[in-house]
Amino acid sequence: MTLDRRYLSQFDWWLFAVSLLIPLAGLTVLYSAGYDPGALRKAFSWLPGEYYSATFVRQGVFLIAGIIVALITIAIPTQKWERYSYLIYFMALLSLVAVLLFGQSSHGSRRWLLLGGIRIQPSEFVKVALILAVARYISKHPPPVGGYGFKNLIPLAIIIGLPMALIVRQPDLGTALAVGAIGAAMTLFAGIKPKVLAILAAAVLIAAVPLWESLKPYQQRRIMALLDSESDARGSGYHVNQSKIAIGSGGFSGKGFLKGTQTQLEFLPEHTTDFVFAVLAEEWGFLGSVCVLALYFLLIYRILRVTLKSYDLFPALVAFGVAFLVFFHMAVNIGMVLGMLPVVGLPLPLFSYGGSSMLTVMFAIGLVLGISMRRLTFIGKIG
Amino acid sequence: MARMEKLSLDLNTRVLVSLWVSLLVLAVIIVRLWYLQIVKGADFRRASENNRLRTIYIPAPRGKILDRFGNVIVRNRPSFNIELVMEDTPDPQATIGQLADILGLSVELLTERVKDQRKRRRFQPRLVLKDVDYETVARVSANRYRLPGISISVVPAREYIYGSLAAHIVGYIGEISRRQLNEPKFSGYMMGDIVGQYGIEARQERFLKGERGIRKVIVNAVGVRIAEYSYTPELSGNDVVLTIDLNLQEAAHGALKGKRGAIVAMDPSTGAILALESSPSFNPNIFTGDLDPDTWRDLVTGPDKKLTNRAVQGGYPPGSVFKIIMAAAGLSEGVVTAGEQIKCPGFWRLGSRVFRCHKRDGHGPVSLIPAIQKSCDVYFYTVGQRLGIDRIHNYAREFGLGEKTGLNLVEELRGTVPSTEWKRRYFKDPEQKKWYPGETPSVAIGQGALVVTPLQMVRAIAAVVNGGRVLEPYILKQVKTADGRVILSEREPVVKHTLPVPEKYLRLIRKAMEAVVNKPGGTGRRAALDPKYGVKVAGKTGTSQVVAEHLSVGREDLKDHAWFVGYAPADRPQLVVGALIENAGHGGAVAAPAVKEVMEAYFRRQLQTDNEK
Repeated sequence: MTLDRRYLSQFDWWLFAVSLLIPLAGLTVLYSAGYDPGALRKAFSWLPGEYYSATFVRQGVFLIAGIIVALITIAIPTQKWERYSYLIYFMALLSLVAVLLFGQSSHGSRRWLLLGGIRIQPSEFVKVALILAVARYISKHPPPVGGYGFKNLIPLAIIIGLPMALIVRQPDLGTALAVGAIGAAMTLFAGIKPKVLAILAAAVLIAAVPLWESLKPYQQRRIMALLDSESDARGSGYHVNQSKIAIGSGGFSGKGFLKGTQTQLEFLPEHTTDFVFAVLAEEWGFLGSVCVLALYFLLIYRILRVTLKSYDLFPALVAFGVAFLVFFHMAVNIGMVLGMLPVVGLPLPLFSYGGSSMLTVMFAIGLVLGISMRRLTFIGKIG
Repeated sequence: MARMEKLSLDLNTRVLVSLWVSLLVLAVIIVRLWYLQIVKGADFRRASENNRLRTIYIPAPRGKILDRFGNVIVRNRPSFNIELVMEDTPDPQATIGQLADILGLSVELLTERVKDQRKRRRFQPRLVLKDVDYETVARVSANRYRLPGISISVVPAREYIYGSLAAHIVGYIGEISRRQLNEPKFSGYMMGDIVGQYGIEARQERFLKGERGIRKVIVNAVGVRIAEYSYTPELSGNDVVLTIDLNLQEAAHGALKGKRGAIVAMDPSTGAILALESSPSFNPNIFTGDLDPDTWRDLVTGPDKKLTNRAVQGGYPPGSVFKIIMAAAGLSEGVVTAGEQIKCPGFWRLGSRVFRCHKRDGHGPVSLIPAIQKSCDVYFYTVGQRLGIDRIHNYAREFGLGEKTGLNLVEELRGTVPSTEWKRRYFKDPEQKKWYPGETPSVAIGQGALVVTPLQMVRAIAAVVNGGRVLEPYILKQVKTADGRVILSEREPVVKHTLPVPEKYLRLIRKAMEAVVNKPGGTGRRAALDPKYGVKVAGKTGTSQVVAEHLSVGREDLKDHAWFVGYAPADRPQLVVGALIENAGHGGAVAAPAVKEVMEAYFRRQLQTDNEK
């Protein structure tokens, strides 16, 4: 493990800054989303200053932990990550099995493991483990000219399908979908034969019908609610309807910090987690929302830039996988909050309250930062 | 570098495509944000306000109703309602079950009540029980923890202090009906509002109602009140002061106890109503609590027609009281003089028909004064025949019969004054369209097709007393704000007709009416007051047949109606009092004492104040 000055000179300070700006903006919004005057001050008597938001304090702790995770990740050379990719992947699979066996359930699904009093959601970490495993596989078995054919895709399908299947069993459709999407995007990035791609696309469309029927009624309702959210305002459409009211009522410049009535009066459900973007849009308006969206674009751009500048397939694929992870979660989460996509429980990366998600994304960004820092070492070795 | 080329992966294109895709998705998101926040922003802003603001209406206390001396007849008292807010209970049916159990009521009844109000929103309280007693309040309070969503609200309830006394005047209140909500005069009212439905409560609604208060509170998603947003205080209704003298009203109420009929007392110089009582009456307080359908049906359609105000809605033949109008007409038209004597053998012949006098053996030769004093029928058959029906009709109309008096209280009965033209218009059959001379004698003694209300007769006699002015009666003296500022003062008397009867004839008739009460042989001797009051009463009795005499024998419900309309003091009249008592027999025997009771109440107080001086 060598960390000399050359690495530091190559450190992507832009990426690092954006990765901190987004959670800091998130903390501001979460302070308001979790605002509870008086009630919880005592819980943080050990902290300097006065805080009225438990969510804020906890997320702050998660962010610090996330930064530490990112720094550790940066310190470990990319080659080591490549070497241990499969090991990490198998450990992730084991944790998913453990969830199904010993996991804690709430709201009818089993998603959490209790480790030393901390509730963690292994399916979050699986996302990065999958990125590593898929990148490793593709870099070892790169696609022939013209892209992968069916035969080459089978091992990849297994690598992607195993964690998906385990997550669907929890059940957690959103995360399973995210895992599948990340794997598929990386494979597509590597290249698939056009004919094979067309056949696969057709197969997905045909499979959609039995898939719909295999969905739980609440999942079907959520998708239906998207099509007509007004019709059932107190039922499935309630979340989306309240979210749209919160966002729309924010207007151009928002209602102001701690002034969002939809949030403060708890009309907006899940306002610290899945619907946190609605809080942002209500209190900070169109202006604030667009600023945060710009930060996301900057984040994705800086990560993709790392892909572009990679001199090896594994780091390029890992960086792309991380960029896609951020993009997919952002697009699906905001699309849901804006009432354009069905309600699937995907967090807004670096923004939604939650330790597992925060640590996972910081871990992923740490990988990218490490890759970007070390890209010149390959040249050095080759040269 | 070499490795990459070997892989033939074109990273440039791939990353560029990825960037464009993410830009495109971001653009879609921003367009959507623009649409929600800028294009539809105002709508969603309103929706978020509606979300958090709840409007609570606070009913305004209605104004009081007072008598002319400021005695309170109707006021408000705190009343307790038991309400259910659906949103605040996890299981409304269980809560209702508990409530029924605690109060010993049937679950079905309470469920039905709540169901009837399904249109109410979840956070709006639904009325479960109205105006409950203290014991119920105590029991519900004690079991509060078992009754989530149940609350007790205190609202002003109407209290009719004297119960059925003056009930036909003050009327009653009730929840606004769907039909009323559509009427223009109820614009601004809402479902569930309490409005006057009858009597003064209805007619003076605009003064009595006040302005409801509006409280807007901020609530959170589970309906818990967080803070007050705005508050417009409720405004008390105005107090309505009536011309009624509660003292006289009570006397009238007492005089009518157990009888069917009406008593009206009026100030002959202004037309102000001093008392107006109809019997049997009803207790307006029953409309404040829960009214059961049977009671309601009995009020409206029962044989006693308790809701009918007999003083203005009851139609009766005036009987011999009409002879006053006949005398005025006969004298004014010159068909009879004060001195002319007409012989009464106890009957009167018209062609082959025989009309009887109530005194079978006859009054002998009578002139005008004794004819009125003794109520001789033959005298007035004669006068009637000399006048002819149309002249009788014209005078009756001048006295204000056959028209609404204009008292602003309830829909009045117009009554009927027959004439040749009336017959022509009223009947279809050509045979019946004709006026037969044989019909005139009946009308001349206040029978036949003649129909009047007690108020009309009182007003007619008041015109004789006040020098010929037929006044529009009124009952509203003043309207004051809750803090006593007069916003509507007593109006000037309105003269509807001036009688075409010279004062000398009116004086003669008054002399005759004095004789009715005060001279031996007068029919209204029982209206006379005790000499200690030093007040002479004058008046005229009447006994109006319900059906022909031979048909009514032994039938209580077909017995004659008793009339007496009198005034006092005879020389300087201060009030005119008329009484009509249904199926009670002779006016002199039943109606005259009733009038006397009211007059006594009036002059007793006058005597007291004189003594105090």
